[in-house]
Parts: sequence; C-alpha cells; structure tokens
Amino acid sequence: MTGRRNATALAVAFFFSAAAGAADPNLCAACHGDNGNSTNPAVPSLAAQPAQFISTSLYMFREGNRKDDQMTPMAKPLKNAEMNELAAYFAKQPAAPAKHQSKPESVEAGAALAKKYNCSQCHGPRMLGQQHIPRIAGQQYEYLRTQLRLFKAQTRADIDGNMTSAIQAVPPQDLEVLADYLAGLEAK
Amino acid sequence: MKTTVAVAVAAAFAIPALAQQAGSPPPSWQQGKPAAMSESTLHPFAPHMTGRSSKDLPVNTLKVPAGFKVEVYADGIPEARSMAMGDKGTLFVSNRNGKNVYAVVSKGGQREVKTILSGQDAPNGIVFSKGTLYVAERGRIKRYDGIEGKLDSPGEGKVVIDNLDPNRAAGHFWKYLAMGPDGKLYFNIGAPGNIVLPSYMEASIMRVDPGKGTLETVAIGVRNSVGMDFNPKTKDLWFTNHARDWLGDDSPNDTLHRVAVKSPVPHFGYPFCHQGTTLDPEFGKNRSCAEFAKPSQLLGTHIAPLGMKFYSGKMFPAEYQGNIFIAMHGSWNRTVKQGYNVMRVKIDENGKASKPMPFLTGFMTDEKADPPMWGRPVDILVMRDGSMLVSDDYNGIIYRVSYAAPAGKKK
Repeated sequence: MTGRRNATALAVAFFFSAAAGAADPNLCAACHGDNGNSTNPAVPSLAAQPAQFISTSLYMFREGNRKDDQMTPMAKPLKNAEMNELAAYFAKQPAAPAKHQSKPESVEAGAALAKKYNCSQCHGPRMLGQQHIPRIAGQQYEYLRTQLRLFKAQTRADIDGNMTSAIQAVPPQDLEVLADYLAGLEAK
Repeated sequence: MKTTVAVAVAAAFAIPALAQQAGSPPPSWQQGKPAAMSESTLHPFAPHMTGRSSKDLPVNTLKVPAGFKVEVYADGIPEARSMAMGDKGTLFVSNRNGKNVYAVVSKGGQREVKTILSGQDAPNGIVFSKGTLYVAERGRIKRYDGIEGKLDSPGEGKVVIDNLDPNRAAGHFWKYLAMGPDGKLYFNIGAPGNIVLPSYMEASIMRVDPGKGTLETVAIGVRNSVGMDFNPKTKDLWFTNHARDWLGDDSPNDTLHRVAVKSPVPHFGYPFCHQGTTLDPEFGKNRSCAEFAKPSQLLGTHIAPLGMKFYSGKMFPAEYQGNIFIAMHGSWNRTVKQGYNVMRVKIDENGKASKPMPFLTGFMTDEKADPPMWGRPVDILVMRDGSMLVSDDYNGIIYRVSYAAPAGKKK
C-alpha cells in the first residue's frame, strides 16, 4: 500500500518538476516511444518496467557501469531524484500489445528454455520483472538479442552480476530462441 | 580431450545439458542449490541505487525500547554501507555495488552529503584512524592521509596492500575493514561462491600492518564476514559470519565468532562444517565438526549479520554497556524472512555471548512478501555523544538512535 501511495506522490512531484524542465519524459519518448512503448526493435520499451529497474539503469549509465552512445549523455546530467521521478512515471504506463511474432517453433522451445535456464526465477512467472529486474515479456526483439549477447560476452553490467553469471550456461543458439520467444510474449 | 569433444558437440547440436556439464558455472548465488530446490524463487535483493527519500518511507514505524528514540540522521547517501567517523566530526560512508565514498558534514545546522572518492572498485570497507581514512576495495587497501583537511581534493591515496583478489572471482569479494588495538588493519577475504573450496587466502580474516604491507592470517574457514570489532576491555577480535545458502529455511545459522588476542589461527569450519555442528552435505562427507573451532553464538539462519560494534558510549543505560550491537541485513534465502533489524548480544565476564535480542525493528513489514522489507540495516557506528548511527543501503539513509532517561529516573 505504501508503495502505491509513494508512486502516486512521486508521479505528482514529477509533473511539477517536468513543468520546470528538470527531467522530461518527452525527451525519452523520442526514442523509447509514446509513453515508453518503443516501436524501434533496437530500442527497449520502458512502459510497465519495474521502477527500480529504470532508476537502476539510469544510474548505471550515469556512473559508467553501462555505456551507450545515446544513453550515456542522456543520463549524465540527471540527479538521483530525477531518475526516481522518470522511473515512477514510466513504471505506471501500460505496456502496448507485443508487435513481434515469435516463430511457431520458438514458442514451446522458448518456454522450456526459460524454465531450464532459471529466467522465471528472477523475471517472474510471466516475465514481467520485479524490483531491479526488468520486464522482458514483449520487450523489443533486437534489443533483447543484443543485450543477451552482451551479457554472454560479460560486457553488459547489471547491478549484482547475476545475469552475467546466469547466462554463461546458455549456448548462443538458445539465446536466439529465447529472444524470439520473449519478444512475442504479451506483457500481462 | 573428452571435454573438448563434448563442448564441440554441444555447440554444434545445441544440447544444453552437455554445455552445462562442460563447465558453465551457475550464478554465484545459486551455486550449491540442490535439485530439490530448483523451483525455488528465492533471490537476493538489490538496493535502490538512486536512493529513496526518507519522506516517502514509513520511518515513523521503526521501533526501539522505551526511552530510546530513532530519527533520520541523513538521507541521499545512495547505497550507504560502512561508516567511519573522523576526528573532526566528518561521517564517512562507503558503497558496495556503487563506486563512491561519501562524506557527511554539518554545515550551518544542515547535513550536507558530498562524494569525496569515486571510481572505486567495490569500496565497502572504510575505517578512520589518526587522521587517515583507509578504504578497502575488492583487491586492495588505500590510505588517504589528512583526509578531513581536504575533503574536496583528497587525491589518489597511497596503496597499503594490493593483490588481495588475484582470482577476480564472483562471490564475496567486498571487504569490511576495522582498525585493531594493535594498529593493524583487519579485514575479510570472502569465499568465492556459496559453497566452494576456497584458495589459501580466501574464506579468511586477514590483517596487515599499514606501515609494513605484509599480509597475516587471523582466522580461516570463515565463509564471509562483513562486520568486526574489538572488545574494548579484552582487545579480543569479534566478527560476524554468513553461513552458506540452500540448506533450507532452518539451517545453518549465521554466526558470531571470537578470536582471542595472540590466539593461534583458528579454523571455523567452512566449507566442511557449518555453525560448529553441521557437516556440509558435500564437503563434510568425510570430515568431523570436532576438528574445528566453534562459534561463540548462533545468530539465526540466513539472517545476514553485517556490521557490529561493542557499545561503550555514555548515553545508553547500564544494561547496554559492553553489548555487541549487530546490524541484521535480513534473509533472502528463506521462505519466511527474518532479520532486517538491529539486535544486541550481551557478553559476560567469561566472554560468553547471550542469544541475540531485538533492539531496532520495523523495517520488515511482511515476512512472506517479496520484498518483505522497506529498509536494510548494514553498519553501526557509536557517536562521541553515545548515540548510535545505523546505515541502510536499500534506501541510502542513516538513522540515529538516542536515549533520554525518563524524568526522575536514573539511567
């Protein structure tokens, strides 16, 4: 209950600060799509992501744990409180229906691999994420593929190293099936 | 050769079972998880790295015994971990996942937080002594002399000792740092996984004379200690230790340990024997717990004892004098959660430790929820006035606990 009340309070605070131009979600929407629902396969959706995941990602871009030509300069000037405001805003936006069509053979195989490689243990039974762990159901396909490969190569930071560690057991061809499967999942 | 063939086959035909057998490690926190628990959804919690404002949190629900008061001392210190107090009143605060060391200074009645060191490699351990701030990163300890006179430009510091983490393995690579009464720096080198055979320098408590830079072993068989202090009367070293995960909700206990001054190097059992009495199902098969030194007290299963301090301040009542206060970060590897509080242990004149008793509670709101808490105690610091600071890395907040005797009553 407290969490919900806090989220509302943050969202209200956010609209005031946005008016003052501090952390404008419209800037994010230019790449991440309206309300954070991306239409670019290479750019992740922010809508309906756990707030802590968004704030943690912005933090890692600013601090240099994660590096990206677009995101690093975007995150650089943001203060922690502004990151929290943006996170609260996008966490509240509903996810758009998944546009990606998984290959028929990926659906069953993907679900089996997700179980086998413990994806659901952190990302949740419906892959909606929790706390600092992202929603991957219905996430953009190219983005998922890229991130999975970077985790596998041990060059993509996550806050506790768990994803890097978890993915070492997954061979490259299974990564492809997982990305295809997850991108086609509805986020609900 | 067989292994090479297996890898090639796995790669060509995507047989994941073979790929795993060929040496791909499980995530470090899942290492040692038995097949019977493969469906478990228990997972570690991560701090809010951008911090949360105390105004948005139920800090007024925190509970302390009658006569005590708890208040927010400072917030906006992302992932506040270990604390150290300077001679001139600067409060230093460290990070574990973050890369910073902060200074909290009072300015015109307000507390100001400034980042004094950045780009550090898991700088969890900090201690202040004789004008110098010592910082333990994952692989080395550095010293920053005269730090309080140059908080805005502390410089690069000088290396006290390096090469403390030659394997760069996952697992417990962050360090706690304490200054011994002998002028030596004491710290842990954690086990590189949940339940693994450590190297000769891992799963230990070590010390180094900052003037010499030579490593000395204090204790071994210690899975991971992230809190230690010295009994002000006897000078004995006491430390907390985290036992292994994935042996069930009620086994084994995290522990409190004592190493007497000039003691031979004790072996506390890891990875063979846990809590002094429980053989490990894998590593303990052909061993006996009788071989190993015993803990001084069991603290609770998976409760995650972190920072600990002997209380010798002047503010708390006599009952609390000489107690060890322990910050319980709280369990994740347990279906019914416990901890997320500060507890105290009484030590009698023979050095015997009592069972832990709750002191500061209220961070845990639902023992079966995920997450079960809104805050997590990490370290304890006794201020010069006898009040106590408690850091909370989940939110980046520091709380202050003080005591005022009721009117007409002597403390």
